[in-house]
Amino acid sequence: MYALIETIHAAGLLTCFALLSTSRIGACIRWLSFQGILFGMVPLIIPDDGLTTRTLLMAGGSLVLKGIAFPWILLKLRARANYNREVQPFVSFVMSILCGILILSLSVWLTLQMKPALIHAPFVLLNSSIFLIFVGLFLMISRRNALMQVIGYLVLENGIFVFGVITVVGTPLLVELGVLLDAFVGVFVMGIAIYHITREFGSMDVDRLTELRG
Amino acid sequence: MYAGPSIVAVLVLALAGALSCLVLRRPHHVLMTIVGVSAVELLLALNIWTAALGPKGFVTAADQWFYIDAFSSFHIVVLTLVFVLSSAFASIYFTHEAGAFTVYVARRFGVLWLGAQSAMLLVLVSNNLGIMWVGMEATTLLTAFLISLHPSRLSLEAMWKYLIICSIGIAFAFMGTLLAAASIQSDGGVGADALFWTKLGSAEAHLDPTLMKFAFVFVLVGYGTKAGLAPIHSWLPDAHSQAPAPVSAMFSGFLLNTALYCIMRFVPPVQHALGQDFTSGLLIVFGTVSILVAAGFIVFQRDAKRLLAYHSVEHMGIITLGYALGPLGCFAALFHTLNHSVCKSLAFFAVGRLGQRYGSHEMISIAGALRADRLWGVSLLISLLALIGVAPFSIFMSEYQLLRAAIGAGAWVTLVLFLAASGVVFVSALRHMIDMAFGTASRHDRGGRDGKLAVPIVVAAAGLLVVLGVWMPLPLYDAIASAAAVLAGRP
Repeated sequence: MYALIETIHAAGLLTCFALLSTSRIGACIRWLSFQGILFGMVPLIIPDDGLTTRTLLMAGGSLVLKGIAFPWILLKLRARANYNREVQPFVSFVMSILCGILILSLSVWLTLQMKPALIHAPFVLLNSSIFLIFVGLFLMISRRNALMQVIGYLVLENGIFVFGVITVVGTPLLVELGVLLDAFVGVFVMGIAIYHITREFGSMDVDRLTELRG
Repeated sequence: MYAGPSIVAVLVLALAGALSCLVLRRPHHVLMTIVGVSAVELLLALNIWTAALGPKGFVTAADQWFYIDAFSSFHIVVLTLVFVLSSAFASIYFTHEAGAFTVYVARRFGVLWLGAQSAMLLVLVSNNLGIMWVGMEATTLLTAFLISLHPSRLSLEAMWKYLIICSIGIAFAFMGTLLAAASIQSDGGVGADALFWTKLGSAEAHLDPTLMKFAFVFVLVGYGTKAGLAPIHSWLPDAHSQAPAPVSAMFSGFLLNTALYCIMRFVPPVQHALGQDFTSGLLIVFGTVSILVAAGFIVFQRDAKRLLAYHSVEHMGIITLGYALGPLGCFAALFHTLNHSVCKSLAFFAVGRLGQRYGSHEMISIAGALRADRLWGVSLLISLLALIGVAPFSIFMSEYQLLRAAIGAGAWVTLVLFLAASGVVFVSALRHMIDMAFGTASRHDRGGRDGKLAVPIVVAAAGLLVVLGVWMPLPLYDAIASAAAVLAGRP
């Protein structure tokens, strides 16, 4: 059991560093899909009472949405911007990886702060969830392409999902399903927004969205 | 009477209205529908309000998943009031956009408008903090396309910023909600009602102080983004300036308050676990910073709608500050919520119509508004005077009460900063206002009748601002007082 948790943790960290250092958007979307499937398994292995309808629904829902539906929507959107498939970072890839290492140390420190109050949560997964949240934020602010901002948002969502699963034992199913639905609608809405933006601006480069200021 | 079913009715009605907009054939019919639905919603809200203020002190439905006390019922009434005014104004505003307001745009507007209303109502009636969060997230997603109702480069830019920044904010708020859930210390499993704010705030809840501290910070930053508190307000001026005027009015008039409402629902449990100073301190810092930042930006504004947007940041700061200053401050904050919502709606109506007439929202272009358009010129004058806190209007009264609360609480530094910022806002906004209202009228479009609803809207909103400034009816006083008592932990 614990070996499985550690494998997920290690593989999760790798997907984050892959996202930080990959220059092709298509590859980033595939890494994101892998990450979604990886962390979608967490509800199946965490609870003590074994497999229930509830854990199956949660794991199934997140596998379908994060492993298949979101990557599919993102790949469709990428196909629209056929001349520009690069990530276009504001921060270079080497710097991004260095920042990733910094974020990792920060997340370990934060985990150490929180751990005493969260007795039931496994340390490594708590660490992955906090790391995912900050990497997601970093991707959102350091990349110029609108699709990468959505990817960053989904990494952040993954982190919050893991955090919720490992820390809160008894949240009602209704709330969890609401959250998954929200993520789905969120990606859908962002997709439509990107569609309009590419049509109006001829690119997904959010660097051009700078006319409103002051 | 039938208060429980009324709760379900407000949600269902708004949702049904939204769906029915999908099949309407004319833009005109969509506008009629939203006005009709909003009017009925206001009546239902008043019914819930009277019931919640009754001897029982709350209204509940669906096995306590919906739970309304004096605090939430007050917000529901303000929300429906703003929606009635804005819907009526939308029916005027969009008839002047006949070319751009095609049936498809009208349907999209109707669905998103009423959908946003039902999402906000869901936030206000929910007892479960998780469902409250779902409602809040839904408002973000639904209102995003209201900003870019007419897609253009600027409105798309504003919409994208709104979507991304508020999504991050909302994600933080969810993290806060999770931390609050994780802080529940119990030996057995946690029940389905664990995240009910009625449960979390009660004396029996044993909450872990460290986690509650983290939770409140996340919630304050998260929902604070949506409430437009500085320094995380950056989406707000863009969205408010690019959205069509009725949408800006709804954003400013109520969307921001919904987010603030969510923050305040976390305050009693946090105070329970950590004492009063922690929440008060944070709220004072965020409130004061918002007032100061807004004052700075108001001085240099050139666009009338951006000016109003920064006024929103300022007034959200004032309300937040009020909530931090004890029972008297909470009373002032709630009274200010009502005043600000009505006043800001009126201001956006006036700027919206004048903008249509002059073809621009630049303040330089809108000169001599009083002469060019008597009705909206006067509305602009009244609403801007009220916004900066001139004496006979009700915003003056609520700000005065806030000052008394600050003196009572001994918050001298805050008091000085608040007065200084208000002074700056007063002078610079007065200058902007004189330029717009008086002076020689520049080139403008003379045509365009306002229809039958225009005068009633202005009279209702301006009348409320004047009457509440000089006389507070006893039932309203009691209602606000009992809402303030909820925040102090006395049901």
